[in-house]
Amino acid sequence: MPLLLRTHYQLATNSLRQNRARSFLTCLGISIGVASIILILSLMGSITNLINSQIKSIGKDLIVVRPATHKDAVTNVVDELTSANQYRGSNLTLQDAKTIKKISGVAATAPIAISHNTLQTKRTNSDSKTIKSAPVLATTPDFLKIHPLPIKTGAFFDKKMPENSAVIGRTLSLHLFGNTSSVGKTVSMLGQHFIITGVLSQIEDPINFNNLDYANALIINADFLATFSQNIQIQQINVKTTTIDNLSPVSKAISQKLVTAKSGDTNFTVASGDQISHPAGSLFSIISGMLTLVACISLIVGGIGVMNIMLVSVSERTREIGIRKAVGASNDHIFLQFLFEALVLSLLGGLLGLILGYLIAFIISTFTPFAPFISLGILFITILTSLVIGTLFGLYPAFKAARKDPIDSLKSYR
Amino acid sequence: MSTAQNTIIEIKNLNKRYGYGDAESYALKNFDLTVKRGEFIMIMGPSGCGKTTLLNIIGLLDKATSGSYFLSDQPVERISRRKQARLRALKIGFIFQNFNLIPSLPVIENVALPLIYSGYSQTRRLIQASDTLKRFHLNEREYYMPWQLSGGQQQRVAIARSLVSNPEIILADEPTGNLDSRSSRIVMEELRNIHQEGNTIIMVTHNPELTTYATRVINMLDGHIDTDIKTVADADLPQPVSIRFVKPTIIVPEPKEKTTTKTSKSTKTEPKAQKDASPSTPKKSKSKLKKSKTEKPKTEKSKKSTKTTKKGNK
Repeated sequence: MPLLLRTHYQLATNSLRQNRARSFLTCLGISIGVASIILILSLMGSITNLINSQIKSIGKDLIVVRPATHKDAVTNVVDELTSANQYRGSNLTLQDAKTIKKISGVAATAPIAISHNTLQTKRTNSDSKTIKSAPVLATTPDFLKIHPLPIKTGAFFDKKMPENSAVIGRTLSLHLFGNTSSVGKTVSMLGQHFIITGVLSQIEDPINFNNLDYANALIINADFLATFSQNIQIQQINVKTTTIDNLSPVSKAISQKLVTAKSGDTNFTVASGDQISHPAGSLFSIISGMLTLVACISLIVGGIGVMNIMLVSVSERTREIGIRKAVGASNDHIFLQFLFEALVLSLLGGLLGLILGYLIAFIISTFTPFAPFISLGILFITILTSLVIGTLFGLYPAFKAARKDPIDSLKSYR
Repeated sequence: MSTAQNTIIEIKNLNKRYGYGDAESYALKNFDLTVKRGEFIMIMGPSGCGKTTLLNIIGLLDKATSGSYFLSDQPVERISRRKQARLRALKIGFIFQNFNLIPSLPVIENVALPLIYSGYSQTRRLIQASDTLKRFHLNEREYYMPWQLSGGQQQRVAIARSLVSNPEIILADEPTGNLDSRSSRIVMEELRNIHQEGNTIIMVTHNPELTTYATRVINMLDGHIDTDIKTVADADLPQPVSIRFVKPTIIVPEPKEKTTTKTSKSTKTEPKAQKDASPSTPKKSKSKLKKSKTEKPKTEKSKKSTKTTKKGNK
């Protein structure tokens, strides 16, 4: 049997070599599909990697409470694709954060409530500057304990400071005030004035587990926000435990406490460790989901290309099939010969796609924070996808070839 | 040395029908044929008399509508398609009028083609193909493409291909049909040499001149045997070394006249008829056999004439 397979492989490569240009173009069809899948996977992998490394740097004693029950990645993408889900409100409240804080073993809790608001500088009426839809993070002073942000000038707000204190991102400060020394200046939002107490240093991680671009953000006190804004949407609550060892007991305790506090509502997730990086931003999930769909479509188109070429090949080589059958090839031999051709085509296409995909990912990485991420899983997926495509679209032509009548085939011209 | 063992093909009451109802036509009708090891049969007849159909059925490429076909005492109907393919690879060699070489493969790989399906590794395939090509003095053309060869050379390559797996039966469908007389003579000489080595050859031809090479000439008409002439006695046929047996020295000529309707039976009953006609022959041949068992059996060139069975009312 191995000998037979090797013979079929030799036959397949031989006949593919007869039509180099055609084989190459067919491969290209497959490889474009594979390349786009690789590109998406490697970018997604790089983001997961980024967040994981962040979490590691922050500390392994991090627990994240998020709304909605934890789902596997596929359902998650489908969920995120429906707009109703995307804009649904979070059911976590500031009260929940306080509930969590009371649990023993919790060192700090920080609710993360990100909203997009219009910011306005209040220098003179004529010289006021407005930024529409700037990300505003409402949290508690505990935030710094969990996620130490480098502060360039000033300080992060704490309990002693006035509750309308705010910390500004470096880029946002530049946009609003034209410089980074904006400590003491005021920004108005929703009719309230905020006094800037600190400016963040340049932070080079626009993708993080809080899903916030710090450089562009204004960080305010959630308790103050609650005094004038009724519906604060808390996207997640970050929890830091006292020691790494009580990570899992604390997670369990949080789940139990929250369920009782929310009178039986279990519509939240308590994630720790690698789970945190799982849903890396809803928008990103949507984009990558869409891209995966498009990539799948192009892969199917590539597969149809393989099928098409194989059908042409079968009808072109009808006489050859007749000859082979006359000299002793069984239907199975012919079937395998043509199936192997389709498989070799799609495997070559898959390998080409792998290289192409990484090349594009590498080019993208030169001007974005993404770093192309290579894993065995991706390699495996590539090979598996191309094998499946090759088999799927090679079956019918191979079947057609195998069923050809030897006598009729010998009579055919070409 | 039983005749049964020596019978390689036995076809009884074979029918091949094409079409149904009004369009029904028989390519072969109640066809009977027994082929012995070492025969060189020429099948002649007008176009459409079922020669090629017969060859295809013998070569397991086609299936008969009804009737029985025994290949080396095995009923073909009961052999699975896969095993039939294997038999084609091991036991049967095809030679076609238009050579039927695969144009995209070099000569040596064309010759090696049947070996793929009898489970040889690539190296062994190429070695054996090379050896076979040497026999046909084509070893310098191994890596030529088929279109670079003349018609005669191409047909010799095709013959080499049919021989490469040492088949028992070689089926040739007008092998000289596309060749000029010189090339066709070379090809026929090759076929004669193959026959001398004990191969069974069944050849379809339109050229009556070629019948001189044959040990048996069958004329077909409308799907049945019209005349069946043996120019060499069964016992005189060249045999492959392994099963070669000693020929009786005395061969009784036996001209016969029979009607067409009995054609089918006569082929089967030939050995009996021979015995009946000359009761002394078997004894003599036996005694001769004992003697010659001690001697080394030799390949004797096929003697022409001696036994002729003529049938038909033409």
